[in-house]
Amino acid sequence: MQDRQLIRADLVTGLILVAFGLAVLMEAVGMPRFETRRINPWTVPGLVPGFLAIIIAVLGAALALRSTFSAALRAPAPALDPQEAADVRAARRRLLACLGICLAYAAGLVGRVPFWLATGFFVFAFVAAFEWQRDDPPPARARKLAIAAVLAAAAAILVPLLFERLFLVRLP
Amino acid sequence: MLDGLVQLGNAFTVFANFTTLFNVLWATLAGILIGSLPGLTATMGVALLTTLTYQLPPAQAILILISVYVGAIYGGSRSAILLNIPGTPANAATTLDGFPLARSGRGGEAMGIATTASMMGTFIGVLFLAAIAPLLAEFALRFGSYEYFWLAIFGIVIAGQMTSFDDALKGWISGFLGLMVAMVGQESIHAYDRLTFGIPDLAGGLALIPALVGAFGFAEVLTVMKNRAPELAARSVGRVLPKLSELWRYKRTIGRSGVIGTVVGIIPGVGEDIGAWISYAAARRGSKEKEQFGKGSIEGLIAAETGNNTAIPGALIPALTLAVPGSAPAAVLLAAMLIHGIRPGPLIMIEAPDFVFQVVWMVMLATVAIGVIGLLLTRPLLQVLRVPRERLMPVIFVLCVIGPYAITQRLFDVYVMIGFGILGFVLREMKYPMAPLVLGIILGEILDKNLRRALVLADGDLTPFFTRPISMVLWIATLLVILLALPPVRRGVSRLLRWETAA
Repeated sequence: MQDRQLIRADLVTGLILVAFGLAVLMEAVGMPRFETRRINPWTVPGLVPGFLAIIIAVLGAALALRSTFSAALRAPAPALDPQEAADVRAARRRLLACLGICLAYAAGLVGRVPFWLATGFFVFAFVAAFEWQRDDPPPARARKLAIAAVLAAAAAILVPLLFERLFLVRLP
Repeated sequence: MLDGLVQLGNAFTVFANFTTLFNVLWATLAGILIGSLPGLTATMGVALLTTLTYQLPPAQAILILISVYVGAIYGGSRSAILLNIPGTPANAATTLDGFPLARSGRGGEAMGIATTASMMGTFIGVLFLAAIAPLLAEFALRFGSYEYFWLAIFGIVIAGQMTSFDDALKGWISGFLGLMVAMVGQESIHAYDRLTFGIPDLAGGLALIPALVGAFGFAEVLTVMKNRAPELAARSVGRVLPKLSELWRYKRTIGRSGVIGTVVGIIPGVGEDIGAWISYAAARRGSKEKEQFGKGSIEGLIAAETGNNTAIPGALIPALTLAVPGSAPAAVLLAAMLIHGIRPGPLIMIEAPDFVFQVVWMVMLATVAIGVIGLLLTRPLLQVLRVPRERLMPVIFVLCVIGPYAITQRLFDVYVMIGFGILGFVLREMKYPMAPLVLGIILGEILDKNLRRALVLADGDLTPFFTRPISMVLWIATLLVILLALPPVRRGVSRLLRWETAA
C-alpha cells in the first residue's frame, strides 16, 4: 500500500475504532450488574470490556488525529505510471479471484456437499483459474486443464484417506 | 541442582524409543518444508498440526509440534537464501546476507552455515530454558492478581511496540483488539454471555486455533496469491558442509546472538523475527568487518540464524512458567498444551516438573533433526521451492478448512477462520503486526479474571496496583515503553544522549 493511501486508510480505521470502542462501551455499560444476586460490584461482567473499549477508542482517536495532521494527506497523489497501474489492477484481480474461490468453497460448498467432492471442485477451480492465460494456444490450455483435473482428483481421493484413516480426524 | 539433572535424565527415558525418533524426523521435515515455502509460517504449521495430532498421547503430540516449530523457523532460511523471500517472518534478516551469498554461487555454503547457526542457537536457548524455567516458575509463585494484570498489560504494550516496525500505535491497537476478541463469550466469574448477540455458537468464545489458522493461514494464501510469483535465484548451490574453523572464528557472534535471542524470546509476544533483527544489528555494531554486512557477510548470516532459533526455547520459558507465550507459535503451543490437559503456569514445577524437562529434550531432538535433515537433504529439499504456488495454495487452504473443524467438529469454527483470515489480511495490508493480536487473545482471560479479582481484594482501592514491589516494576516498565515510543520523547532522549557523548 502506498504512503498516501495508507495514511488515508489510517484515518478511516481510526474513526472506525473510535466508533467500535464507543459501541462496545455502551454495550458494556448495559451489561447486567446482578444487584439482586448481591455480587461484589467490582466483578460485574462489563468492567473489563468497558475498560478495553475506552483504550481502543483512545488509540483509534490518536490514529485518526495523527493521519489528519500528516502532511502526506494534503500532498497531491503521485500519478502511477501505466505499468504500475496495470500491476496494481492485476494484483487486485488475483486477490478477488482467490477470495471468491476460497469463500465459495469454505462458506458455500463445505458442509453442504460431500467433502471430497467440494475439495475436488475447489482445487480444480483454483488451479485452472490461476494458470489460465488469455493468449494460451488450445493445446497448452488443454494440458493445463488436464493438470488441474489430475490435482483435483488426487486431492479428492488423498485428503479424506489421509486425514480420516491416518490422523483419525473427522472431516466436514 | 542435582535434582534437576536427575529429572532431566528421567525425562529422556520417555523419549528413548522408535516412535519418538519417527515422529521427530517426519515432524521436523514437515516443519522445514512449511518454513521454506513462503506463505507458510511456523505459527500456521504448529496450529494445523495441533488439530491433526490431538488424538495422540500428550508427550508425542507436543514433541511433534515443537519439531514443526523448530523445523519451520530453520526451514525459512532456505527461501531467504535462495529466493530473497523469507520463508517465515523470522528469516527476514537472513535475506540480507544469505541472498547475496547465493547470488555469488555460494548458496550451498550459506545454507550449511544457516543450518549450523540454527542448531547452535537452539542449543544455547535450550540451556537457558533448562536453567531459567524452573527459577522463573518459582519466582512466579509470588505473582498475585495485581501482578498478572500488569503482566498482561505490559505484554501487550511491549509486544505492540517491538513487533510493529516503528509504529507502536498500530501494535497496541492490534494487541488491544486481541484482548477484546477474548472478551467474547461466557465470562469466568458469573458465567454471563458477553458480546455474543444471542448467537449460541459465540457463547464458547472465539477459539484461538481457528483465529490463528485464519490470520496466519488464509491471510497468507491471499497475500501470496495477490503478489507476483518469486523466482529462484540460485540453481547451483556448491559446497554445503560448513568449515568448523569458520564457525569457531565467529564464536563471539554466536554467543552474543544466543543471549539476545533468548532474552527477546522471553519477552511476551516478541518472537523469532525480532530476535534475528536485534542480534543482526548487534553483530554489525560489534563486527570488525562492518562493511561486509548486507553484501554477503558470513557473520551477519550467523547472527540472524542464531538469533531466531535461540528465540524458540526463549519463547517457551514464559509459556511454560507464566502461561504467557513468548511468540506467536508459542501461543499455539500453549493452546495445544491446554488441549492435552497440561496446565502451564507457575505451578508447573510442582504439578508436572517432568514436563518442563521433557520439553527440553523435545527441542534438543528437533535440533539434532534439523542438523541431520538440513545437511543431508539440501538438494532434494530445493525441489520444494519449485512447486508453483497456484498448485500449492489450494492444498494449503483445504488444510486451513480441515484444521479448525477437526477439534470441535463445528462449521462455525471454519467461519471464524474465514473471518480472521480476511481481518488479518486487511490489517496486515495496513501494516498492523499480527503477534500482539495473538498475544491479546491469550492474555484476555488472564487480564479479565485478575483485574476483577484484584479490585475485589483491594475493595476498589487502586494503590496496591502501584505499590506492590513486582507490580511497581511492571507498571514502571510499561510506562517507560509507552513513553519511549512517543516521537517527541524519543527525540529528546536521543538529543540528551548525543549531548552527553559530546560532553
